[in-house]
Amino acid sequence: MSMPPRSRTGSGPLLAGLIIVMVAAVAVIVLAAAGATPQSVWDSFFPVQGVTPATDRSHSTKSLYDIVFYIAVAVFFLVEGLIVFSVFRYRRKPGDDELPPQIHGNNVVEVIWTVIPTAIVAFLFLLSWQTLNTVDAKVPTDVHVRAVAQRFQWSFQYLDGPSSDANVLFTQVIPVGNDGGMFIPVGKPVQVDLLAKDVIHAFYVPKFLFKRDAVPGKLNTFDFTVDEAGTYRGQCAELCGPGHGAMVFDVHAVDQATFDTWFKAQVAQAAATPTPAASGAAQGPVVDLAAQNISYSTKALQAPADTPFTIDFKNDDTGVPHNVAIKDASGNEVFKGDIITGPAEKSYDVPALKPGTYTFVCSVHPTMTGTITVQ
Amino acid sequence: MATTTLNPAAPAYRSALYEWLTTTDHKKIGIMYLINSIIFFLAGGILALIVRLQLVIPKDATTIGGLVSPEFYNQAFTMHASFMLFLFIIPILAGFGNYAVPLQIGAPDMAFPRINALSFWLLPLGGALMASGFLATGGAAASGWTEYPPLSGAKFNGPGTDLWIMGLTLIGTSSILGAINFLVTIFKMRAPGMTLFRMPIMVWTILVTSVLVLMATPVLTSALIMLFIDRNYGGHFFDPANGGNAILYQNVFWFYSHPAVYIMILPAMGIVSEVLPVFSRKPLFGYKAFVFATVAIGALGFSVWAHHMFTTGAVFLPFFSLMTFLIAVPTGVKMFNWIATLWRGKLTFSTPLVFATGFLTMFLIGGLNGAFSAAVPVDFAIHDTYWVVAHLHYVLFGGSVFGVFAGIYYWFPKMTGRMLNETLGKLQFLIMFIGFNMTFFPMHQLGLAGMPRRIADYSASAGWTDLNIVATIGGFTIAASILPFLWNVLVSLRSGRIAGDDPWEGNTLEWATSSPPPPYNFDHLPEIRSERPVFDARHGQAAAH
Repeated sequence: MSMPPRSRTGSGPLLAGLIIVMVAAVAVIVLAAAGATPQSVWDSFFPVQGVTPATDRSHSTKSLYDIVFYIAVAVFFLVEGLIVFSVFRYRRKPGDDELPPQIHGNNVVEVIWTVIPTAIVAFLFLLSWQTLNTVDAKVPTDVHVRAVAQRFQWSFQYLDGPSSDANVLFTQVIPVGNDGGMFIPVGKPVQVDLLAKDVIHAFYVPKFLFKRDAVPGKLNTFDFTVDEAGTYRGQCAELCGPGHGAMVFDVHAVDQATFDTWFKAQVAQAAATPTPAASGAAQGPVVDLAAQNISYSTKALQAPADTPFTIDFKNDDTGVPHNVAIKDASGNEVFKGDIITGPAEKSYDVPALKPGTYTFVCSVHPTMTGTITVQ
Repeated sequence: MATTTLNPAAPAYRSALYEWLTTTDHKKIGIMYLINSIIFFLAGGILALIVRLQLVIPKDATTIGGLVSPEFYNQAFTMHASFMLFLFIIPILAGFGNYAVPLQIGAPDMAFPRINALSFWLLPLGGALMASGFLATGGAAASGWTEYPPLSGAKFNGPGTDLWIMGLTLIGTSSILGAINFLVTIFKMRAPGMTLFRMPIMVWTILVTSVLVLMATPVLTSALIMLFIDRNYGGHFFDPANGGNAILYQNVFWFYSHPAVYIMILPAMGIVSEVLPVFSRKPLFGYKAFVFATVAIGALGFSVWAHHMFTTGAVFLPFFSLMTFLIAVPTGVKMFNWIATLWRGKLTFSTPLVFATGFLTMFLIGGLNGAFSAAVPVDFAIHDTYWVVAHLHYVLFGGSVFGVFAGIYYWFPKMTGRMLNETLGKLQFLIMFIGFNMTFFPMHQLGLAGMPRRIADYSASAGWTDLNIVATIGGFTIAASILPFLWNVLVSLRSGRIAGDDPWEGNTLEWATSSPPPPYNFDHLPEIRSERPVFDARHGQAAAH
């Protein structure tokens, strides 16, 4: 059978080729200007820039991702290559009115391109099923944490056992920061129970390659072991309202000794009777600040230098804890107010600060920030 | 009285406006579907630009990033999706069906012309009801287009959500009426000789879509009504504190909304399957395989709904994973059939074919990045991140919307009697194709880097800023591509080249009548002996085999 005549006429293919080259050139220049290297671009196609994931079971997820990725890329280049080839190869010549061969089908190739994709997806299904069993495996656990999700913050209750009706030893209210977040011992299996108090949330730590929904009325439980010490940022992944994006948390994986010390201190603190709040008269000038909808009422405050002052803080978010902490330019915390759950008000007595610019931030919601100018 | 003074039949003059508002002609109704859908496409597009502006840089860097409040941001993306899915893609494809199906099967009109008008007029009504949420206390619906309870409950969202429910119920009713109308038309009104296996693929996709609508949309309606009762009349269907179940809503919702994905893509596949053979001058490769693949996708589409719920912990994962993987097979068959149709053809790159090849390329990516979510453990990592946003836009924009524009450029000459401008059409494609990929391709990387969907702001230290800037520039590029399109339509309506009956050398019956066709469509029909009756009439039987 003779091949149909080739078309090399017309400016269409030339123009299309030129545009493709130009767009590709612009893309390369922009990427280079933004400081991207071939390696960093390649890494961006893998979860969390291709870093080694943090938990024992996420390694098998990463392997599965890699396999799916390479198969998808291979199929893409094969099929896209066929499309591009057809588009450039089989153009109609101007004035060519002859019909091409009228091919209605071919049973052999149609069976081939049905069977091969079936084989590929069957393989991928079996592989992902096997991986799923690893990821969802239950193991005897040492640490039991109930992650409590509510609009718009996480808190972590440490339990005295794995069962769902275990007693709460203490509650970690602050979700992020050096003394906030979920502390776990590195290399030890941890069980997390998810409890949602109002709407559906999701516990998502990108470096664990894992998320699970926290559903009201349903207990979801999963196990994991973190391989490497470090702090891992997590975030709510199921829309829960206006503050959804602010619902972040940290997981601190620390060595066993550090964990034990922290754990004992928390248990002791929870057992101790809370000290009555100092009620002294407000000293110095008073600064007003309110919190509503997971946001401060103002982004900029002024305060006098070298003299103690008072922040009258009003939390208007019902059921949501907020506070005011002040950090200096290098990020050291110079003041931290008690966390109050709204609707509530509290006066914070802030010690004298040196002149300069400080940031204030909510310990529960690190996206709530502003600057305080001391002069 | 002995004699009755008969008013002589009033000269059939009515104002054009009256004519359009009261018409039961499927062609006019089809065109009204298209216009109404394009209006909501523009409205949804403006909301998308607000979303992109909000996310361009983190709020704490400067105030540009914080364009709108988080409350309004949630309304913006919720209504963006609601407009695009329920008031643009689904209706515009139904509009193409309305216009093309009776013509393509050689029928004078739809089986129930007045019900046809009703199903159209429910759309602007439902759309207006939904959009009026912006005027309500607390604003429009803001819980995402999925409106999961408890978040969508009365405790957390105001009357905007009720307006959303009512609007969507009307839109669903419109779909159901339309589906019945399509089914009866296709089964009862085909011209002599038009057997089922001689129907154009476009008609087949509308047939399968109508079955999906008929089976799935009532289920959505039931979910919406339960939600409405929970919100307003003290029901507890989805309230776990009172014996309800929050996951139940997701099961019922996705039992509709996954088949709805096929409602949103199958007719676009039908359009592409009309365009490719005409502009390759070849028959569609593997017609019967294509029909069976369409039916298989429709059937499998009912067994994969829970793949939207893998992370709920309430799903039998292996089953839904397997079915989701399997749906790739008939989809792959279609892709290969399309390429084989191009293969060894004689391709004329008019704008419809340009958009159709854009469809092939983008839908290929949308299929492949969907396979990642079928692998359950990978889905645990990427679910509800920007990866999913990338995936769905590659399917519904790169797929459906490119198919829609292929259809507009393909049938505009038939609808109006005038050609659209080719240069403007290709300019639109070029800008849209570049803008589309700039917007949505980086979202793969954002999702892999851990950026969740539906957040109004992010930290500068998260490392997501650069890609969000690219995506926002891309979003405005897409918006720019709409300008040559609108200009093209306006100019071509007045002064476009006269099309004639059959400007593309088409295959199917709509090209055997005038452009635009007369009321009731045909003066006479060619013989129908294959799925390409007009081709046969042009070239004679010998050439077809």
